[in-house]
Amino acid sequence: MFDLHTVLAITGVALVGGLIGLDRTAAGQFMISQPIVAAPLAGWLLGDVTAGLIIGAMLELIWVLDMPIGSFVPANATVSAVTATAVAALTSPGGAPRSVLGFCILLSVGTVPFTMMADTYVRSWNSRLLDAAHAADGADAARSLSRAHLTGLFAFFLKSVVLYVLLLPAGLAAAALFLRSPDRVQVSMELFLMLLPLLGAALVVRRLSISALDPFLLTGFIAAGLLAMVFHLHAVMITLLTVVVGWLGVRCREHRS
Amino acid sequence: MQSLGFSYALLPVLKKLYPDRDEFEARLRLHMEYFNTQPYLASFILGAVVRLEEDRAAGRASLAAIDAAGLKAALMAPLGALGDSFFWGSLKPLAAVIAVALVMAGVWWAPILFLALYNLWHVGLRLSLLFWGYDSSGDAMALMERYSFTRMARLFKAISLSVLGGILAGISGWRPEFVPNLTLPGPVVAGAALTCTLIIVTVLRRGGSPIKFMLGLALFCLALAYAGVV
Repeated sequence: MFDLHTVLAITGVALVGGLIGLDRTAAGQFMISQPIVAAPLAGWLLGDVTAGLIIGAMLELIWVLDMPIGSFVPANATVSAVTATAVAALTSPGGAPRSVLGFCILLSVGTVPFTMMADTYVRSWNSRLLDAAHAADGADAARSLSRAHLTGLFAFFLKSVVLYVLLLPAGLAAAALFLRSPDRVQVSMELFLMLLPLLGAALVVRRLSISALDPFLLTGFIAAGLLAMVFHLHAVMITLLTVVVGWLGVRCREHRS
Repeated sequence: MQSLGFSYALLPVLKKLYPDRDEFEARLRLHMEYFNTQPYLASFILGAVVRLEEDRAAGRASLAAIDAAGLKAALMAPLGALGDSFFWGSLKPLAAVIAVALVMAGVWWAPILFLALYNLWHVGLRLSLLFWGYDSSGDAMALMERYSFTRMARLFKAISLSVLGGILAGISGWRPEFVPNLTLPGPVVAGAALTCTLIIVTVLRRGGSPIKFMLGLALFCLALAYAGVV
């Protein structure tokens, strides 16, 4: 199962994933580490951009409102997305079928406890770097600070690399077993994939709105439905117009209150 | 943890302002004290601290005036809450939902649009806040008046919900991986999608965990497959 190509692919994903993971909290935070960017990037490197786009979009909806507020350590959606995409792309060269995509997204749930544990450990280890920098005296203070800062960055990078090196082979083994599973199991994963957008949408609605039947959700739904039925507009235009509808809705509400 | 990064960012400024080694070290250690806020709004505090250190080094700071440590302590919590609510709670979901809508429609450049939508705001604000913090010496009230973060957050959340509604309505036009093999009219399928979504929201609001729900959904799909429904 693990030929030279797979080993090289795992190594490549681990190194690139480690760099992308720095964007999550340690450096930049330009959102390259978000699933909707990281997964297609991984997919592109491994020859299956479609798998990356689909997995990235679903995990983005599911994890987008999991926020690193204060000392809370959320699940590492970057590792989950890149791992799921890499497993899909390496398991099914030439394009992962729906069942594999669904299975890989489900598999990403299994990465959550490991990534949270690893993130918590590295953060507490990094907090000791500050103590070490504090303890340095005299002219060493500035040098010690610089060293501590860069060591912290390296620790985050190394954490991600280790996670990929451990999770990817396990994921590939699980996917290989999945491909040998009965047809009904594979059909169930196709259905699972089709229902995921609804779960993702529900997770976002739950956090953004105080009511399930939110007026903006309903207005966007009706507007998009009418635009599609009557004018047969392209999805890009419909998305743009739902943005405008939302904006107009807020302006109306502000005007009335 | 942010104190390491914050003091690292201040290193060149402190080196220039305090040629005396003892004074430089004392100021550096002061900035290595606990600091935690929203990472982008930290640039406002950074700019303000640079200004205060400049004034202090030049002997312009009065004894009664707030010092850099006091300013950091006063601003980090409120700016943290403000920034979390705006950037993580509204701007990121807005950019994400728009990008997801385009991915569902089969547009390959959706991730690039996501980065553009987010970073136009993020980078612009981050840079301007650095200079605004410097110019205003950390006047947080002026910051709130200049940038109506709360109002913008409300607007972005509303637009995100509208776009989500559009995603659900457009189910018949989704990329083929997501479209079920049903011969029902598009509006009926869209209505069913909206209904299912609202049911899931209701269940989640009663304390359902997303991970448990995903696992439950997978088991549900397995049961349907074995029952021969799909």
